[in-house]
Amino acid sequence: MSVETAADGEPETAATGVRSSLAERLDRRSILLGLAGSLAFLAVWQVGAMAIGRTYLLPSPVAVATAFAGELAKSETVTLPLVGELTGSKLVVKLFQSLVHYVPGLLIGTVLGVALGVAMAWNRTLDDLFTPVTRVLRPIPPLAWIAFAIVWIGIGHGGAIFIVAIGAFWINFYNAYSGVEGVPQSQREVAASLGVHSDWGMIRKVVLPSASPEILTGVRTSIGQCWMIVVAAELFGAPGVGYQIINASQNLDTAVSVVYMFVISLVFLTSDALFRRVEGRVLAWRE
Amino acid sequence: MARVDGVADGDRRVAVDGVTKVFGVEDDDPVRALDGVSFTVEAGEFVCIVGPSGCGKTTLFRIIAGLEGATDGEVRLDGDPVTGPAMDRGMVFQEYGLFPWRTVIENVAFGLEQQDTTAEERRSRSQEMIDLVGLDGFESAYPNELSGGMKQRVGIARALAVDPAMLLMDEPFGSVDAQTRNMLHDELLDIWAETEKTVLFVTHDVEEAVKLADRVVVLSSGPGTVADVVDVDLDRPRSRTDAAFGEYQERILGLIHES
Repeated sequence: MSVETAADGEPETAATGVRSSLAERLDRRSILLGLAGSLAFLAVWQVGAMAIGRTYLLPSPVAVATAFAGELAKSETVTLPLVGELTGSKLVVKLFQSLVHYVPGLLIGTVLGVALGVAMAWNRTLDDLFTPVTRVLRPIPPLAWIAFAIVWIGIGHGGAIFIVAIGAFWINFYNAYSGVEGVPQSQREVAASLGVHSDWGMIRKVVLPSASPEILTGVRTSIGQCWMIVVAAELFGAPGVGYQIINASQNLDTAVSVVYMFVISLVFLTSDALFRRVEGRVLAWRE
Repeated sequence: MARVDGVADGDRRVAVDGVTKVFGVEDDDPVRALDGVSFTVEAGEFVCIVGPSGCGKTTLFRIIAGLEGATDGEVRLDGDPVTGPAMDRGMVFQEYGLFPWRTVIENVAFGLEQQDTTAEERRSRSQEMIDLVGLDGFESAYPNELSGGMKQRVGIARALAVDPAMLLMDEPFGSVDAQTRNMLHDELLDIWAETEKTVLFVTHDVEEAVKLADRVVVLSSGPGTVADVVDVDLDRPRSRTDAAFGEYQERILGLIHES
Protein backbone atom coordinates (compact mmCIF):
# COMPACT_ATOMS: atom_id res chain seq x y z
CA MET A 1 0.00 0.00 0.00
CA SER A 2 1.46 3.31 -0.98
CA VAL A 3 0.91 6.56 0.80
CA GLU A 4 0.85 9.94 -0.90
CA THR A 5 2.73 12.46 1.17
CA ALA A 6 1.04 15.53 2.59
CA ALA A 7 3.98 17.84 2.09
CA ASP A 8 7.13 16.71 0.35
CA GLY A 9 10.08 17.30 2.62
CA GLU A 10 13.07 18.04 0.39
CA PRO A 11 12.10 21.04 -1.77
CA GLU A 12 10.29 22.57 1.18
CA THR A 13 13.52 22.73 3.21
CA ALA A 14 15.39 24.50 0.42
CA ALA A 15 12.58 27.02 0.02
CA THR A 16 12.45 27.61 3.77
CA GLY A 17 16.16 28.39 3.74
CA VAL A 18 15.66 31.24 1.27
CA ARG A 19 12.56 32.46 3.03
CA SER A 20 14.18 32.62 6.48
CA SER A 21 17.08 34.77 5.29
CA LEU A 22 14.60 37.08 3.58
CA ALA A 23 12.60 37.18 6.79
CA GLU A 24 15.76 38.02 8.67
CA ARG A 25 16.46 40.98 6.44
CA LEU A 26 12.88 42.18 6.77
CA ASP A 27 13.18 41.73 10.53
CA ARG A 28 16.27 43.87 10.77
CA ARG A 29 14.59 46.55 8.68
CA SER A 30 11.48 46.63 10.86
CA ILE A 31 13.54 46.64 14.06
CA LEU A 32 15.52 49.64 12.82
CA LEU A 33 12.38 51.46 11.73
CA GLY A 34 10.66 50.67 15.02
CA LEU A 35 13.65 52.02 16.92
CA ALA A 36 13.70 55.18 14.79
CA GLY A 37 9.98 55.75 15.31
CA SER A 38 10.28 55.30 19.08
CA LEU A 39 13.19 57.73 19.29
CA ALA A 40 11.28 60.25 17.20
CA PHE A 41 8.30 59.89 19.53
CA LEU A 42 10.51 60.46 22.59
CA ALA A 43 12.16 63.45 20.93
CA VAL A 44 8.85 65.10 20.04
CA TRP A 45 7.59 64.38 23.56
CA GLN A 46 10.73 65.87 25.15
CA VAL A 47 10.68 68.96 22.93
CA GLY A 48 6.96 69.42 23.52
CA ALA A 49 7.38 69.10 27.29
CA MET A 50 10.22 71.64 27.24
CA ALA A 51 8.15 74.04 25.13
CA ILE A 52 5.20 73.81 27.52
CA GLY A 53 7.57 74.15 30.43
CA ARG A 54 5.23 72.94 33.18
CA THR A 55 5.85 69.39 34.36
CA TYR A 56 2.33 68.93 35.72
CA LEU A 57 0.84 69.66 32.28
CA LEU A 58 3.20 67.38 30.38
CA PRO A 59 6.09 65.70 32.18
CA SER A 60 9.08 65.09 29.93
CA PRO A 61 10.46 61.58 29.35
CA VAL A 62 13.41 62.53 31.54
CA ALA A 63 11.06 63.61 34.33
CA VAL A 64 9.15 60.33 34.00
CA ALA A 65 12.37 58.31 34.15
CA THR A 66 13.39 60.20 37.28
CA ALA A 67 9.97 59.60 38.84
CA PHE A 68 10.26 55.92 37.93
CA ALA A 69 13.56 55.64 39.79
CA GLY A 70 11.98 57.50 42.72
CA GLU A 71 8.96 55.18 42.94
CA LEU A 72 11.22 52.16 42.68
CA ALA A 73 13.46 53.42 45.49
CA LYS A 74 10.68 54.31 47.94
CA SER A 75 9.81 51.59 50.41
CA GLU A 76 6.28 50.85 51.55
CA THR A 77 4.52 48.30 53.70
CA VAL A 78 0.93 47.19 53.06
CA THR A 79 -1.30 44.41 54.30
CA LEU A 80 -2.98 42.50 51.51
CA PRO A 81 -5.79 40.01 51.69
CA LEU A 82 -4.60 36.45 50.93
CA VAL A 83 -0.96 37.55 50.73
CA GLY A 84 -0.49 39.17 54.17
CA GLU A 85 1.97 41.91 55.01
CA LEU A 86 4.23 42.99 52.19
CA THR A 87 7.21 45.35 52.36
CA GLY A 88 9.15 46.46 49.32
CA SER A 89 9.63 49.03 46.64
CA LYS A 90 6.52 51.22 46.39
CA LEU A 91 6.13 50.45 42.71
CA VAL A 92 6.22 46.70 43.28
CA VAL A 93 3.91 46.93 46.30
CA LYS A 94 1.32 48.91 44.29
CA LEU A 95 1.53 46.36 41.53
CA PHE A 96 0.86 43.58 44.04
CA GLN A 97 -2.14 45.49 45.36
CA SER A 98 -3.54 45.52 41.84
CA LEU A 99 -2.70 41.84 41.33
CA VAL A 100 -4.79 41.05 44.38
CA HIS A 101 -7.76 42.45 42.44
CA TYR A 102 -6.73 41.26 39.04
CA VAL A 103 -5.88 37.59 39.62
CA PRO A 104 -8.92 36.50 41.69
CA GLY A 105 -11.28 38.60 39.55
CA LEU A 106 -9.88 37.13 36.36
CA LEU A 107 -10.02 33.55 37.70
CA ILE A 108 -13.56 33.80 39.08
CA GLY A 109 -14.91 35.53 35.96
CA THR A 110 -13.15 33.13 33.60
CA VAL A 111 -14.30 29.95 35.34
CA LEU A 112 -17.91 31.12 35.66
CA GLY A 113 -17.98 32.59 32.13
CA VAL A 114 -16.60 29.45 30.47
CA ALA A 115 -18.89 27.22 32.54
CA LEU A 116 -22.05 29.13 31.68
CA GLY A 117 -21.01 29.63 28.05
CA VAL A 118 -20.42 25.90 27.58
CA ALA A 119 -23.58 24.94 29.46
CA MET A 120 -25.83 27.29 27.48
CA ALA A 121 -24.36 26.40 24.09
CA TRP A 122 -24.70 22.71 24.94
CA ASN A 123 -28.15 22.62 26.51
CA ARG A 124 -31.08 23.95 24.52
CA THR A 125 -33.28 24.48 27.58
CA LEU A 126 -30.63 26.51 29.43
CA ASP A 127 -30.02 28.46 26.25
CA ASP A 128 -33.68 29.35 25.80
CA LEU A 129 -34.02 30.15 29.50
CA PHE A 130 -31.11 32.56 29.80
CA THR A 131 -30.52 34.03 26.35
CA PRO A 132 -32.83 37.04 26.93
CA VAL A 133 -31.21 37.80 30.29
CA THR A 134 -27.66 37.53 28.94
CA ARG A 135 -28.57 39.68 25.92
CA VAL A 136 -29.78 42.48 28.17
CA LEU A 137 -27.04 42.30 30.80
CA ARG A 138 -24.08 41.91 28.47
CA PRO A 139 -23.91 45.44 26.99
CA ILE A 140 -23.65 46.96 30.47
CA PRO A 141 -20.00 48.03 30.92
CA PRO A 142 -18.38 46.22 33.88
CA LEU A 143 -17.64 49.57 35.51
CA ALA A 144 -21.33 50.44 35.68
CA TRP A 145 -21.63 47.68 38.28
CA ILE A 146 -19.60 49.91 40.59
CA ALA A 147 -22.93 50.95 42.12
CA PHE A 148 -23.50 47.45 43.43
CA ALA A 149 -19.84 46.93 44.24
CA ILE A 150 -20.11 49.91 46.57
CA VAL A 151 -23.36 49.00 48.31
CA TRP A 152 -22.69 45.28 48.50
CA ILE A 153 -19.00 45.02 49.21
CA GLY A 154 -17.63 48.54 49.55
CA ILE A 155 -15.01 50.02 47.29
CA GLY A 156 -12.01 48.14 48.67
CA HIS A 157 -10.32 45.04 47.36
CA GLY A 158 -13.59 43.11 47.19
CA GLY A 159 -15.32 45.73 45.05
CA ALA A 160 -12.45 45.82 42.56
CA ILE A 161 -12.38 42.01 42.34
CA PHE A 162 -16.12 42.05 41.64
CA ILE A 163 -15.78 44.53 38.76
CA VAL A 164 -12.87 42.63 37.21
CA ALA A 165 -14.78 39.34 37.51
CA ILE A 166 -17.74 40.80 35.63
CA GLY A 167 -15.46 41.97 32.84
CA ALA A 168 -13.77 38.57 32.55
CA PHE A 169 -17.12 36.78 32.77
CA TRP A 170 -18.69 38.27 29.63
CA ILE A 171 -15.62 37.93 27.47
CA ASN A 172 -15.22 34.27 28.40
CA PHE A 173 -18.93 33.56 28.26
CA TYR A 174 -19.25 34.66 24.63
CA ASN A 175 -16.08 33.01 23.43
CA ALA A 176 -16.92 29.69 25.10
CA TYR A 177 -20.47 29.88 23.76
CA SER A 178 -19.45 30.43 20.15
CA GLY A 179 -16.65 27.88 20.48
CA VAL A 180 -19.07 25.18 21.56
CA GLU A 181 -21.60 26.21 18.92
CA GLY A 182 -18.88 25.73 16.31
CA VAL A 183 -18.02 22.13 17.23
CA PRO A 184 -18.57 20.18 14.00
CA GLN A 185 -21.58 17.88 14.12
CA SER A 186 -19.54 15.07 12.56
CA GLN A 187 -17.15 15.03 15.54
CA ARG A 188 -20.01 14.56 17.96
CA GLU A 189 -21.65 11.92 15.78
CA VAL A 190 -18.45 9.94 15.38
CA ALA A 191 -17.90 10.08 19.15
CA ALA A 192 -21.45 8.82 19.73
CA SER A 193 -20.86 5.93 17.34
CA LEU A 194 -17.65 5.12 19.22
CA GLY A 195 -19.32 4.77 22.59
CA VAL A 196 -19.60 8.28 24.08
CA HIS A 197 -23.17 8.42 25.31
CA SER A 198 -23.29 10.76 28.34
CA ASP A 199 -23.45 14.56 28.07
CA TRP A 200 -20.51 14.96 30.41
CA GLY A 201 -18.46 12.45 28.42
CA MET A 202 -19.21 14.31 25.19
CA ILE A 203 -18.34 17.69 26.75
CA ARG A 204 -15.09 16.42 28.24
CA LYS A 205 -13.85 14.29 25.35
CA VAL A 206 -15.10 16.25 22.32
CA VAL A 207 -16.68 19.63 23.03
CA LEU A 208 -14.04 21.18 25.29
CA PRO A 209 -10.99 20.14 23.27
CA SER A 210 -12.74 21.05 20.02
CA ALA A 211 -13.72 24.48 21.36
CA SER A 212 -10.39 25.06 23.11
CA PRO A 213 -9.01 27.52 20.51
CA GLU A 214 -11.99 29.87 21.01
CA ILE A 215 -12.02 29.37 24.77
CA LEU A 216 -8.32 30.21 25.00
CA THR A 217 -8.82 33.27 22.81
CA GLY A 218 -11.41 34.41 25.34
CA VAL A 219 -9.00 33.85 28.20
CA ARG A 220 -6.28 35.80 26.42
CA THR A 221 -8.63 38.67 25.58
CA SER A 222 -9.77 38.87 29.19
CA ILE A 223 -6.17 38.82 30.44
CA GLY A 224 -5.68 42.06 28.51
CA GLN A 225 -9.08 43.62 29.10
CA CYS A 226 -8.96 42.96 32.84
CA TRP A 227 -5.86 45.16 33.18
CA MET A 228 -7.91 48.00 31.72
CA ILE A 229 -10.80 47.19 34.02
CA VAL A 230 -8.70 46.86 37.18
CA VAL A 231 -7.20 50.31 36.63
CA ALA A 232 -10.62 51.82 36.03
CA ALA A 233 -12.03 50.13 39.14
CA GLU A 234 -9.15 51.44 41.26
CA LEU A 235 -9.74 54.97 40.04
CA PHE A 236 -12.77 54.86 42.32
CA GLY A 237 -10.52 54.36 45.32
CA ALA A 238 -9.39 50.77 45.68
CA PRO A 239 -5.66 50.82 46.40
CA GLY A 240 -3.34 49.79 43.56
CA VAL A 241 -1.75 51.03 40.36
CA GLY A 242 -4.96 52.67 39.12
CA TYR A 243 -5.38 54.58 42.36
CA GLN A 244 -1.77 55.77 42.11
CA ILE A 245 -2.49 57.26 38.67
CA ILE A 246 -5.43 59.33 39.89
CA ASN A 247 -3.83 60.15 43.27
CA ALA A 248 -0.59 61.44 41.76
CA SER A 249 -2.46 63.57 39.22
CA GLN A 250 -4.58 65.10 42.00
CA ASN A 251 -1.28 66.11 43.64
CA LEU A 252 -0.21 67.53 40.24
CA ASP A 253 2.57 64.92 40.28
CA THR A 254 1.79 63.89 36.68
CA ALA A 255 5.19 62.29 36.13
CA VAL A 256 4.28 59.65 38.72
CA SER A 257 0.93 59.09 36.96
CA VAL A 258 2.79 58.40 33.74
CA VAL A 259 5.10 55.96 35.57
CA TYR A 260 2.10 53.88 36.65
CA MET A 261 0.52 54.15 33.20
CA PHE A 262 3.64 52.53 31.82
CA VAL A 263 3.59 49.92 34.59
CA ILE A 264 0.17 48.83 33.32
CA SER A 265 1.48 48.64 29.78
CA LEU A 266 4.45 46.54 30.88
CA VAL A 267 2.48 44.03 32.91
CA PHE A 268 -0.06 43.74 30.09
CA LEU A 269 2.66 43.03 27.53
CA THR A 270 4.32 40.52 29.86
CA SER A 271 1.18 38.60 30.75
CA ASP A 272 0.00 38.57 27.13
CA ALA A 273 3.35 37.24 25.91
CA LEU A 274 3.38 34.56 28.62
CA PHE A 275 -0.13 33.43 27.77
CA ARG A 276 0.60 33.36 24.05
CA ARG A 277 3.38 30.88 24.78
CA VAL A 278 1.04 28.70 26.84
CA GLU A 279 -1.58 28.92 24.10
CA GLY A 280 0.95 28.05 21.42
CA ARG A 281 1.92 24.94 23.32
CA VAL A 282 -1.64 23.79 24.10
CA LEU A 283 -2.79 24.39 20.52
CA ALA A 284 0.26 22.92 18.80
CA TRP A 285 -2.10 20.64 16.83
CA ARG A 286 -3.44 23.59 14.86
CA GLU A 287 -0.23 24.22 12.90
CA MET B 1 -24.51 -22.24 2.71
CA ALA B 2 -27.47 -21.50 0.54
CA ARG B 3 -29.80 -18.78 1.70
CA VAL B 4 -33.53 -19.13 1.47
CA ASP B 5 -35.81 -16.16 0.98
CA GLY B 6 -38.20 -15.45 3.78
CA VAL B 7 -36.04 -16.77 6.62
CA ALA B 8 -36.11 -14.92 9.95
CA ASP B 9 -34.43 -11.54 10.17
CA GLY B 10 -31.83 -12.92 12.54
CA ASP B 11 -30.21 -14.52 9.54
CA ARG B 12 -29.58 -11.19 7.88
CA ARG B 13 -27.28 -8.52 9.21
CA VAL B 14 -29.18 -5.39 8.23
CA ALA B 15 -32.85 -5.13 7.38
CA VAL B 16 -34.15 -1.77 6.20
CA ASP B 17 -37.89 -2.22 6.46
CA GLY B 18 -40.36 0.26 5.03
CA VAL B 19 -38.33 3.27 6.12
CA THR B 20 -40.18 6.53 5.51
CA LYS B 21 -38.93 9.95 6.51
CA VAL B 22 -41.00 13.10 6.44
CA PHE B 23 -39.41 16.37 7.44
CA GLY B 24 -41.54 19.06 9.01
CA VAL B 25 -44.44 16.74 9.87
CA GLU B 26 -45.99 19.48 11.96
CA ASP B 27 -45.55 22.19 9.31
CA ASP B 28 -48.04 23.09 6.60
CA ASP B 29 -45.60 21.95 3.97
CA PRO B 30 -44.03 18.63 5.03
CA VAL B 31 -41.31 17.18 2.79
CA ARG B 32 -41.31 13.44 2.15
CA ALA B 33 -37.63 12.51 1.81
CA LEU B 34 -37.93 8.72 1.88
CA ASP B 35 -40.95 6.62 1.14
CA GLY B 36 -41.10 2.96 2.17
CA VAL B 37 -37.48 2.05 1.52
CA SER B 38 -36.80 -1.66 2.06
CA PHE B 39 -33.76 -3.83 1.37
CA THR B 40 -31.47 -6.16 3.24
CA VAL B 41 -27.71 -6.46 3.52
CA GLU B 42 -26.17 -9.84 4.27
CA ALA B 43 -23.30 -10.26 6.69
CA GLY B 44 -19.99 -9.64 4.94
CA GLU B 45 -21.62 -8.07 1.90
CA PHE B 46 -20.48 -4.87 0.20
CA VAL B 47 -23.56 -2.85 -0.70
CA CYS B 48 -23.62 0.58 -2.32
CA ILE B 49 -26.54 2.97 -2.19
CA VAL B 50 -26.61 5.25 -5.23
CA GLY B 51 -29.01 7.92 -6.30
CA PRO B 52 -29.16 11.48 -7.59
CA SER B 53 -28.61 14.33 -5.16
CA GLY B 54 -31.73 15.01 -3.16
CA CYS B 55 -32.86 11.37 -3.25
CA GLY B 56 -32.52 11.11 0.51
CA LYS B 57 -29.52 8.76 0.54
CA THR B 58 -27.76 10.73 3.27
CA THR B 59 -31.00 10.74 5.29
CA LEU B 60 -31.15 6.96 4.82
CA PHE B 61 -27.52 6.68 5.94
CA ARG B 62 -28.29 8.71 9.05
CA ILE B 63 -31.31 6.57 9.89
CA ILE B 64 -29.31 3.35 9.53
CA ALA B 65 -26.54 4.90 11.65
CA GLY B 66 -29.11 5.77 14.30
CA LEU B 67 -28.38 9.49 14.06
CA GLU B 68 -31.97 10.19 13.04
CA GLY B 69 -35.22 8.38 13.59
CA ALA B 70 -37.53 7.22 10.82
CA THR B 71 -41.04 8.66 10.58
CA ASP B 72 -42.26 5.18 9.77
CA GLY B 73 -40.66 1.74 9.38
CA GLU B 74 -37.45 0.63 11.05
CA VAL B 75 -33.91 -0.59 10.59
CA ARG B 76 -32.99 -3.86 12.25
CA LEU B 77 -29.55 -5.19 12.95
CA ASP B 78 -29.58 -8.94 13.57
CA GLY B 79 -33.25 -8.57 14.32
CA ASP B 80 -32.85 -5.76 16.88
CA PRO B 81 -34.26 -2.35 15.96
CA VAL B 82 -31.69 0.45 15.69
CA THR B 83 -32.40 3.13 18.30
CA GLY B 84 -29.22 5.20 18.24
CA PRO B 85 -25.58 5.28 17.20
CA ALA B 86 -23.54 2.42 18.65
CA MET B 87 -20.22 0.71 18.27
CA ASP B 88 -21.59 -2.09 16.09
CA ARG B 89 -21.77 0.39 13.19
CA GLY B 90 -18.53 2.24 12.45
CA MET B 91 -19.15 5.52 10.66
CA VAL B 92 -16.98 7.16 8.02
CA PHE B 93 -17.96 10.63 6.79
CA GLN B 94 -17.04 12.59 3.68
CA GLU B 95 -15.63 15.38 5.86
CA TYR B 96 -13.71 12.85 8.00
CA GLY B 97 -14.92 14.10 11.41
CA LEU B 98 -11.42 13.57 12.79
CA PHE B 99 -10.45 15.03 16.15
CA PRO B 100 -7.83 17.61 15.14
CA TRP B 101 -6.40 17.89 18.67
CA ARG B 102 -5.51 14.20 18.67
CA THR B 103 -2.64 12.57 16.80
CA VAL B 104 -3.34 9.81 14.28
CA ILE B 105 -2.89 7.04 16.84
CA GLU B 106 -4.93 8.92 19.45
CA ASN B 107 -7.76 9.34 16.93
CA VAL B 108 -7.71 5.63 16.16
CA ALA B 109 -7.68 4.78 19.89
CA PHE B 110 -10.68 7.01 20.68
CA GLY B 111 -13.32 4.28 20.62
CA LEU B 112 -11.11 1.87 22.57
CA GLU B 113 -10.81 4.47 25.34
CA GLN B 114 -14.56 4.27 25.85
CA GLN B 115 -14.24 0.57 26.47
CA ASP B 116 -12.59 -1.31 29.28
CA THR B 117 -9.11 -1.52 27.76
CA THR B 118 -5.56 -1.10 29.04
CA ALA B 119 -3.17 1.44 27.53
CA GLU B 120 -1.14 -1.40 26.05
CA GLU B 121 -4.19 -3.02 24.43
CA ARG B 122 -5.16 0.34 22.94
CA ARG B 123 -1.68 0.96 21.62
CA SER B 124 -1.27 -2.42 19.97
CA ARG B 125 -4.79 -2.52 18.53
CA SER B 126 -4.47 1.04 17.17
CA GLN B 127 -1.09 0.25 15.67
CA GLU B 128 -2.60 -2.80 14.00
CA MET B 129 -5.32 -0.64 12.41
CA ILE B 130 -2.81 2.02 11.35
CA ASP B 131 -0.75 -0.66 9.64
CA LEU B 132 -3.90 -2.05 8.01
CA VAL B 133 -4.69 1.28 6.34
CA GLY B 134 -1.05 1.89 5.45
CA LEU B 135 -0.35 4.85 7.71
CA ASP B 136 2.60 3.43 9.64
CA GLY B 137 5.11 6.20 10.25
CA PHE B 138 2.35 8.79 10.72
CA GLU B 139 1.24 7.72 14.20
CA SER B 140 2.24 11.01 15.85
CA ALA B 141 1.08 13.32 13.06
CA TYR B 142 -1.89 15.62 13.64
CA PRO B 143 -4.78 15.53 11.12
CA ASN B 144 -3.89 19.02 9.87
CA GLU B 145 -0.59 17.66 8.62
CA LEU B 146 -2.26 14.98 6.46
CA SER B 147 -3.66 14.98 2.93
CA GLY B 148 -7.35 14.22 2.34
CA GLY B 149 -6.67 10.61 1.42
CA MET B 150 -4.61 10.06 4.53
CA LYS B 151 -7.26 11.69 6.71
CA GLN B 152 -9.86 9.29 5.39
CA ARG B 153 -7.53 6.36 6.10
CA VAL B 154 -7.44 7.57 9.71
CA GLY B 155 -11.25 7.74 9.67
CA ILE B 156 -11.47 4.14 8.45
CA ALA B 157 -8.88 2.90 10.97
CA ARG B 158 -10.71 4.69 13.79
CA ALA B 159 -14.04 3.12 12.80
CA LEU B 160 -12.52 -0.36 12.53
CA ALA B 161 -10.58 -0.20 15.81
CA VAL B 162 -13.61 -1.11 17.94
CA ASP B 163 -14.32 -4.08 15.66
CA PRO B 164 -17.82 -3.09 14.49
CA ALA B 165 -20.04 -5.55 12.65
CA MET B 166 -20.26 -3.14 9.75
CA LEU B 167 -18.83 -0.01 8.20
CA LEU B 168 -21.23 2.75 7.25
CA MET B 169 -19.66 5.14 4.76
CA ASP B 170 -21.26 8.36 3.48
CA GLU B 171 -19.51 9.56 0.30
CA PRO B 172 -16.21 8.80 2.03
CA PHE B 173 -14.03 9.63 -0.96
CA GLY B 174 -16.00 12.64 -2.18
CA SER B 175 -13.34 15.11 -1.04
CA VAL B 176 -10.24 13.52 -2.56
CA ASP B 177 -8.83 13.75 -6.08
CA ALA B 178 -9.61 11.08 -8.67
CA GLN B 179 -6.21 9.39 -8.51
CA THR B 180 -6.29 9.07 -4.73
CA ARG B 181 -9.87 7.88 -4.91
CA ASN B 182 -8.89 4.98 -7.18
CA MET B 183 -6.14 4.00 -4.80
CA LEU B 184 -8.49 4.20 -1.83
CA HIS B 185 -11.03 1.99 -3.65
CA ASP B 186 -8.45 -0.77 -3.99
CA GLU B 187 -7.35 -0.36 -0.41
CA LEU B 188 -10.91 -0.44 0.88
CA LEU B 189 -11.58 -3.67 -1.04
CA ASP B 190 -8.40 -5.17 0.46
CA ILE B 191 -9.47 -4.13 3.95
CA TRP B 192 -12.95 -5.50 3.33
CA ALA B 193 -11.52 -8.83 2.19
CA GLU B 194 -9.17 -8.99 5.15
CA THR B 195 -11.63 -7.98 7.89
CA GLU B 196 -14.78 -9.58 6.38
CA LYS B 197 -16.88 -6.62 7.56
CA THR B 198 -20.24 -5.74 6.11
CA VAL B 199 -19.91 -2.46 4.22
CA LEU B 200 -22.74 -0.08 3.40
CA PHE B 201 -21.43 2.65 1.14
CA VAL B 202 -23.41 5.72 0.06
CA THR B 203 -22.35 7.49 -3.13
CA HIS B 204 -23.75 9.56 -6.01
CA ASP B 205 -21.07 8.12 -8.30
CA VAL B 206 -22.41 5.14 -10.31
CA GLU B 207 -18.95 4.15 -11.49
CA GLU B 208 -17.71 4.00 -7.91
CA ALA B 209 -20.68 1.82 -6.97
CA VAL B 210 -20.11 -0.64 -9.83
CA LYS B 211 -16.42 -0.82 -9.03
CA LEU B 212 -16.96 -1.66 -5.36
CA ALA B 213 -20.29 -3.30 -4.65
CA ASP B 214 -21.66 -6.83 -4.56
CA ARG B 215 -25.07 -5.24 -4.89
CA VAL B 216 -26.19 -1.72 -5.69
CA VAL B 217 -29.35 -0.28 -4.17
CA VAL B 218 -30.57 2.32 -6.67
CA LEU B 219 -32.69 5.09 -5.17
CA SER B 220 -34.92 7.37 -7.19
CA SER B 221 -35.76 10.82 -5.98
CA GLY B 222 -38.76 12.84 -4.95
CA PRO B 223 -39.46 11.05 -2.57
CA GLY B 224 -36.63 8.52 -2.28
CA THR B 225 -37.76 5.00 -3.10
CA VAL B 226 -35.83 1.90 -4.14
CA ALA B 227 -35.90 1.84 -7.96
CA ASP B 228 -34.13 -1.51 -8.07
CA VAL B 229 -31.39 -3.56 -6.46
CA VAL B 230 -28.72 -4.57 -8.96
CA ASP B 231 -26.41 -7.56 -8.37
CA VAL B 232 -22.98 -6.75 -9.77
CA ASP B 233 -21.70 -10.10 -10.96
CA LEU B 234 -18.15 -9.15 -11.94
CA ASP B 235 -14.83 -10.59 -10.74
CA ARG B 236 -12.58 -8.31 -8.75
CA PRO B 237 -10.41 -6.42 -9.48
CA ARG B 238 -12.88 -4.77 -11.82
CA SER B 239 -11.82 -2.72 -14.80
CA ARG B 240 -13.76 0.31 -15.96
CA THR B 241 -12.78 -0.43 -19.56
CA ASP B 242 -14.44 -3.84 -19.36
CA ALA B 243 -17.59 -4.06 -21.52
CA ALA B 244 -19.66 -5.68 -18.76
CA PHE B 245 -18.62 -2.91 -16.35
CA GLY B 246 -20.01 -0.35 -18.79
CA GLU B 247 -23.25 -2.27 -19.16
CA TYR B 248 -23.85 -2.25 -15.40
CA GLN B 249 -23.15 1.47 -15.37
CA GLU B 250 -25.61 2.10 -18.22
CA ARG B 251 -28.25 -0.01 -16.54
CA ILE B 252 -27.99 1.81 -13.22
CA LEU B 253 -27.88 5.24 -14.86
CA GLY B 254 -30.99 4.20 -16.81
CA LEU B 255 -32.78 3.27 -13.59
CA ILE B 256 -31.93 6.64 -12.08
CA HIS B 257 -33.09 8.61 -15.13
CA GLU B 258 -36.29 6.62 -15.57
CA SER B 259 -37.56 7.60 -12.19
